[in-house]
Amino acid sequence: MTDVGELGRRLREVLGADAVKTSPEDLAAYSFDACGDDRLPDAAVLPNDAREVSAIVRIGRDCGVPIVARGAGTGLCGGAIPVSGGIVVSFARMNRIVSLDIPGRRARVQAGLVNLDLSRAVAGHGLFFGPDPSSQKSSTLGGNAATNAGGPRAYSCGSMSAHVLGLEFVDATGDIVATSIDDPGYDLTATLVGSEGTLGVVTTLDLRLLRAPRAVRVAFAAFDAIEAASACVSAIVAAGIGASALEIMDRTIVRAVEAHYSAGYPIEAGAVLLIELAGEAPDVEAGERAVANLAREHGALAWRSAASARERDALWAARKGAAGALGRIAPNYYIQDATVPRTRLPQAMRAVEAIARDCGLPVGNVVHAGDGNLHPLIMFDRRVQRQREAVVAAGHEILAACIDLGGTISGEHGIGYEKRDTLPLVYSSDDIATMQRLHDAFDPARMFNPEKIFPQASVCSEVLEPATIDTASP
Amino acid sequence: MNAAKYTLGTRSPDFAHVAESVADLSAMLRECDAIGRAVVVFGGGTLQGIGGVPARYDVALDCSRLDRILEHEPRDLTIAAEAGCTLAALDQALAGAGRFLPLDAPRASLATLGGTLASGWLGPRRATYGRPRDFVLGTTCVLADGTIASAGGMVVKNVTGYDLSKLYVGSHGTLVALTRANLRTLPLPPARRLAIAALHEGTRARTVSHLAALPIEPTAALIVKGFPKSIDGNDGVDGRIVILFEGSERTVDAATRELRSALGSAGVPETRLLDREAGPAFARLIDAYVEPLGSRSMTYRSYGSPSQTTPRLDAFERVGHANELEVETIEDLRTGDVIARISSRLTPDFAARAVAFDSQRRTALAGARIVVAPERLRARLDAWGAPPASFATMKAIKARFDPHGTFAPGRFVGKL
Repeated sequence: MTDVGELGRRLREVLGADAVKTSPEDLAAYSFDACGDDRLPDAAVLPNDAREVSAIVRIGRDCGVPIVARGAGTGLCGGAIPVSGGIVVSFARMNRIVSLDIPGRRARVQAGLVNLDLSRAVAGHGLFFGPDPSSQKSSTLGGNAATNAGGPRAYSCGSMSAHVLGLEFVDATGDIVATSIDDPGYDLTATLVGSEGTLGVVTTLDLRLLRAPRAVRVAFAAFDAIEAASACVSAIVAAGIGASALEIMDRTIVRAVEAHYSAGYPIEAGAVLLIELAGEAPDVEAGERAVANLAREHGALAWRSAASARERDALWAARKGAAGALGRIAPNYYIQDATVPRTRLPQAMRAVEAIARDCGLPVGNVVHAGDGNLHPLIMFDRRVQRQREAVVAAGHEILAACIDLGGTISGEHGIGYEKRDTLPLVYSSDDIATMQRLHDAFDPARMFNPEKIFPQASVCSEVLEPATIDTASP
Repeated sequence: MNAAKYTLGTRSPDFAHVAESVADLSAMLRECDAIGRAVVVFGGGTLQGIGGVPARYDVALDCSRLDRILEHEPRDLTIAAEAGCTLAALDQALAGAGRFLPLDAPRASLATLGGTLASGWLGPRRATYGRPRDFVLGTTCVLADGTIASAGGMVVKNVTGYDLSKLYVGSHGTLVALTRANLRTLPLPPARRLAIAALHEGTRARTVSHLAALPIEPTAALIVKGFPKSIDGNDGVDGRIVILFEGSERTVDAATRELRSALGSAGVPETRLLDREAGPAFARLIDAYVEPLGSRSMTYRSYGSPSQTTPRLDAFERVGHANELEVETIEDLRTGDVIARISSRLTPDFAARAVAFDSQRRTALAGARIVVAPERLRARLDAWGAPPASFATMKAIKARFDPHGTFAPGRFVGKL
């Protein structure tokens, strides 16, 4: 049993009273993320810098309690929920840009900086930050790194791991450790990105910035069904046309966002394909013509190109606000995240449609289509148990269908708490045991964000105890 | 057995085993691991010169016969191949379908996919297209105890468990033996052009700033001093600017015009253009990164911010000249890499001078590592330099993956 009084006292001693929360009313704010479950931690802390994070980790280690890092709590898989209690480390106060190297196109930021704030800060230099998850107005770069987040633009510039050049993390001994992709040795930077807070607490990130394109064009094509829109995307990808984002919304989503944003999407369409092209003006124009031709060949009912930057921004704002706009339709929604090979997108959408029909609940689809990354949203009422069960069953069926098509169970949200028992659908026990070797190298006591990623039944039994290797022997 | 092929530094293995299948490779590893034999995994051997000499080396495990392309899905922009597939074979299959992979490794007709990834090779085009590891969607590998394990998959976005493939890339064969890699591919650009211009030292600063301000960013931008065999052109100049453009024909043409005008106003009069020959000429330049100059040369490489190449370049030249060594350099303006080849064609005592040069890695040349060295020097000098701050974690990873030190013990940074 954790001695909560002692834990709080020790934390206050180091951080000061205003940075430590222990009352149930205060702790409620640190008990959940966007997946819906919750569990109160024993304490929540708001450090100002890596040294304070280091002290927190040492106190947690001494008291034998878990450490769960928390960005903005926008995660969708329970990754930030302190399911075994312990200390939640909030990054709300660690939100500074530490330094900018404009000619080298690099930024050093604290892990709690909000994603969009970085792009805003460097826009004046003609630069931007690549990954743009829909939550980018609130989600933090540390959280983005933990889940290897992507967003629409991941299609052209890759997910977080392609953009993190180095980082600083607090390891299981409480030491502050710096890594860089320029270091000799194992690529710990890439290894930590996407590890969902289970290997250490990341406090600082060195990020790559990209030069803003000289020309940008946003357009959409309307189709009568999502399958036709998906087939069109597969054709665009196969033709090698250099779009920067390819996004699909189905009728349910289009209606919800139009009611909320009035961005100009056609509410009578079965699905809308949103296309962004970026680069040199002649290439962007040629790309747009080629995409428009393919859209026509795939039976597009309408085509519209944004005439101004304002129109462009409105189309994007509506797309990124899609999940929020569903609040008008149902009290709760459950968003699934799966990826299939891009040519399999039409089959995946057909499978989702059949599963939706069978479960009897309304389903909307937003799709990072260029990457084959699906996000079916199932709408339900949490208070009705039958609906809760139907949602869980449908979510599972969608994952199984995507695996059958050669896909996987998460493209950008992570496994977290919610999907951990589905990991064996994708990997063999040897595959999972190999991942646990990595885990145990970083965190043998399983202090960091426990009960995440790995299936419940798999705890450590297959992992070998490491022998000491003698690296100096001749 | 062709012993010379598998010799590393001053060490040769007792025997070499050419794996016929993944199962065969797994069985061999399991046995070696059980009886304490040290194993070095071999592909084409083109980058085996990087890194230290293993402390123990009993068995060479050759993967070059595991060379099949397993799945090629041009419409998905993905390909999967066995580790022993050569980069040239991979390129040929991809080009036939209008695709490519910008791995940019030397000696592509010999280099294998597994070896290129294991060595963590980094080429100039990564500033535009991304690092090789960012193209790896999944891997299958064999652990020291013979376990066959996969990570990732065949999809372009994937956060399903740890991305172990990224740990294996650049692990120099000290954690696992890679047997398969799944990769993302790119559509082949319709046009490619290499522009080469002479650069005189007096105009260098202005030229660099004009190049940084080019409206259409080059795919690669390098300043090369020396390496006359690798680049066509006049030996009598201080250096050469080498610029690669890839993209649509229209954009490559526009970029060429802008480049010529930028170089002209910086005082660089003439630019030679290669179109059909661009690919082979660029490949020759990449070969130069690991090409020795007879037996009296060493090549160093240093990574860092593109805004910080000048101080590193200057340090190589200063320390080289102080030791009466000739210094040839490649400065990558987009990635920030600096490559320096030191040699002494004219003065004796190369070894003594090279050792004196190398001692400056603790100070003026911090962060530089050796990528090519004569075998005697290689055994004597530390290729990697000081272990990084995160070394304790690296040691813990090695202990978990390879508890008996079966994979190339002592070869990696800090004698890992």
